[in-house]
Amino acid sequence: MTLRVLTVDDSRTILAMLHHTLSNAGFEVLQAEDGKQGLDVLKAQEVDVVITDINMPVMDGIEFIKHVRASGQHNSLPILILTTETSQDKRDQGKAAGGTGWIVKPFDPEKLISVIHRVVH
Amino acid sequence: MSDLDDFKATYFDECSELLTELEEQFAAIEAGERDRERLNAVFRAIHSIKGGAGAFGFSALVGFAHAYQTLLDFVRDGRVELTDDVVTLCIRANDIVADHVNAAQSGEDLPANYGAEEKARFDAIARGETNSEAADSGDSGDEGGEIVEDFDIDFTPVMVNLDDQHGRREAPVDDVFEASPVASVPEQWEVRFTPHRALYARANDPLLLFRELAALGQMQVRAHLGEVPPLSDFEPFAVYCAWEITLISPTLTEEAIREVFEFVDGDCDIVIARLGDAGAVAPVREAAEAPAAADAEMDLSSLLALTEDEMAQPAEFAAEPEAEPAGAQDQFEDAPGMSLAALADEIKPTVAPAPVKAAEPARPVASMPPAKAAAPAEGDDAGRGSVGVQSIRVDLDKVDRVVNMVGELVITQSMLTQQMDETLRARYTELVRGLEVLAQTTRGLQDSVMAIRAQPVKSVFSRMPRLVRELATKTSKKIKLETIGENTEIDKTVIEQLSDPLTHMIRNSADHGIEGPDKRLAAGKPETGTIRLSAEQAGGNILIVVEDDGAGINRERVLRLARDKGIVAPDITPTDEQIDQLIFAPGFSTAEAVSDISGRGVGMDVVLSNIKKIGGSVHVRSWTGKGCRMTLRLPLTLAVLDVMLVKVGDNPYVVPLSSIVETMQCSRAAFERVPSGGRVLQVRGEYVQVIDLGQRFGMVPANAPDDQFVVLCEAEGSQKVALVVDDIIGQQQVVIKSLEENFERVDGIAGGTILGDGNVALIVDVQGLRTTHIHQNAA
Repeated sequence: MTLRVLTVDDSRTILAMLHHTLSNAGFEVLQAEDGKQGLDVLKAQEVDVVITDINMPVMDGIEFIKHVRASGQHNSLPILILTTETSQDKRDQGKAAGGTGWIVKPFDPEKLISVIHRVVH
Repeated sequence: MSDLDDFKATYFDECSELLTELEEQFAAIEAGERDRERLNAVFRAIHSIKGGAGAFGFSALVGFAHAYQTLLDFVRDGRVELTDDVVTLCIRANDIVADHVNAAQSGEDLPANYGAEEKARFDAIARGETNSEAADSGDSGDEGGEIVEDFDIDFTPVMVNLDDQHGRREAPVDDVFEASPVASVPEQWEVRFTPHRALYARANDPLLLFRELAALGQMQVRAHLGEVPPLSDFEPFAVYCAWEITLISPTLTEEAIREVFEFVDGDCDIVIARLGDAGAVAPVREAAEAPAAADAEMDLSSLLALTEDEMAQPAEFAAEPEAEPAGAQDQFEDAPGMSLAALADEIKPTVAPAPVKAAEPARPVASMPPAKAAAPAEGDDAGRGSVGVQSIRVDLDKVDRVVNMVGELVITQSMLTQQMDETLRARYTELVRGLEVLAQTTRGLQDSVMAIRAQPVKSVFSRMPRLVRELATKTSKKIKLETIGENTEIDKTVIEQLSDPLTHMIRNSADHGIEGPDKRLAAGKPETGTIRLSAEQAGGNILIVVEDDGAGINRERVLRLARDKGIVAPDITPTDEQIDQLIFAPGFSTAEAVSDISGRGVGMDVVLSNIKKIGGSVHVRSWTGKGCRMTLRLPLTLAVLDVMLVKVGDNPYVVPLSSIVETMQCSRAAFERVPSGGRVLQVRGEYVQVIDLGQRFGMVPANAPDDQFVVLCEAEGSQKVALVVDDIIGQQQVVIKSLEENFERVDGIAGGTILGDGNVALIVDVQGLRTTHIHQNAA
């Protein structure tokens, strides 16, 4: 069964690179450009894992994660935070909101895939 | 990887959008709109530029953007006040970021210390903030522009052995002794793991952790089910289990184990102990009471069957089936001298969860424009089921082909419609209806195709504020730039050609149009000069106007220079308007002319030729002491043009309908000669210059009839010109074919077209005719 990944980032460059890496690894990739769009996708489709940026217009990554968890529909949906922030603070914010793990930009394709496998059944 | 270039192209596209956004945001911030959402947008723009730069290894850009972003973060948090000085510094920083982006794009290197001064100021401002808690601020850390941290992928995820394709090379599960040439003794590690509720709330799962651990060595997992209550009290989200994991591997380190638990750090209690070598292997003891469940789910019926005593016993679970061959579920006794009880004493949370700051609520701003909807986005997200802005990248050539074919289709359709005479119309009503639908559809198709290539001029306009800033600094003048109509859309191919001419024109205005502050004050003008850049659509054309409120063109000097260069004959006295146009005359400006006259006209002939290349024209108008206005008239590059078909001699010519005011018939006697050798025609009290196309295009008129058809056209600056032709055939649409591409540039001709009957007709360049006419008459 193909794993379905939702990628949420306002940078087209990052979305494109994620798309490339993930589809090459055999994942099905969905995209959203901000948290609100991400929520819309989740309303419409089941996904196996979410990768989200923090800094986004309209709805940032932290809010997005909070909304996903608050819905009660996606308690066991792994959410990876993709961000350049290496400081503990952002990471804790992401975790507090309900983030499962994180990966630091710029990401290494192999590592990205292995981190996904780390949080997805 | 060949895709890298694609990604880079996407990145640089995105950068230019972000830089445009930065210009816009700071224009508003300068105007006093300092709301949080603007600061967020600015922060995000720099952040995204930095993010992509990191991915491609543009380290100079990353370094600068990082320092800048740190400052912005402090501003965002209100720890640094956004004073005018800081705004000015930021605007300068945007320029430096743009330079870094350009350098990265062109592969050039900027000087090593480029932007170092600004970077130092960021750091100083950041350090000078009220308290030192900046160190652990949201995004930056206190490394003062050091970016090492940013590149650390600060964990090394382990390849999970999912399909036996990628076992971890350092420690192949099935061949531990090949892992290192120095035969090392397998070491035994003991891990005690007690998850908290929060671990599950974040969608982490012990099973996945065990799967990961299994890749590190031989693993044994024992679950402690002592806490599991009777079903009646069972709470689905509570945590009742703790686990003990034994790992055996010759190469294992505590770090590698900690790494597996990285994401759940703080959400569990974990104790890791090394139990020395695993040489003494105890005989296998069958785990009788608990089902070996690979998926770690308790079989409920057996769970219920367990007595309380049994509950207290650790149940044993096999690890992942792949991790060990079935049946080889060895079990090791606890190493002597290290009892579990002792271990239990040591159990304590290794890291207390850090105090959590409330996340900033995002404030959606309704007016955030979906910037990407307007410009054709170029992600490569052809992913199935993609949402948001979906886009594909298409070579412009392919679009051009479609544009041309649609053009031909429009013409064929109008030809068909023209073929339908009244008798046919009466007989074939269905056919007529079909042709009407076809007409609508082709029009729609044409609009859609043109929209694909259309882009707002914003992308060019946004580069100009910086230019003006730099020119103002260089010339010690005060200049502000106003832009109007930047959302006007023009064909992409035109936009790309627009940057150079605009730069020249604005440079001229700033250098030589706008006076210094003292001079302006003396002349009773505001100290700050204004350059206004505007774009609007006017019929089938786009007008781009560069207007300044400076001193205007120094006509005396221009005329003198033009005479010196032999552009204007000594005995001719051109009108003011003609003098103004002289600055575009080929060969008018040279390097030494720069010092000779006020510099107006430097490179203006280049502007003119560039604009002509894309089928446009330039017109200048000046008011001494009040300012100067230069107007670029550009075609929408519609492949299709509405024209009037005329005959000159035996040849068909077409005149763009957009420039025609009216057509008339008049006797040749009405043309009056003027001293300069030209002829004029009086139309409703206004004298209009006459151009006889037959003469102009070198056709000897065979007994010109006394009665002539005249097409009255309007050239730039509302100047009218009367074109004398032999016959007027009618209106139609044509597809423009470039003469330059197929032949060469011809003065007075804007292009060619193929008519419905297969004949070639040339398109008359009204403005060009008029300009060359002035020069001819003046020479």
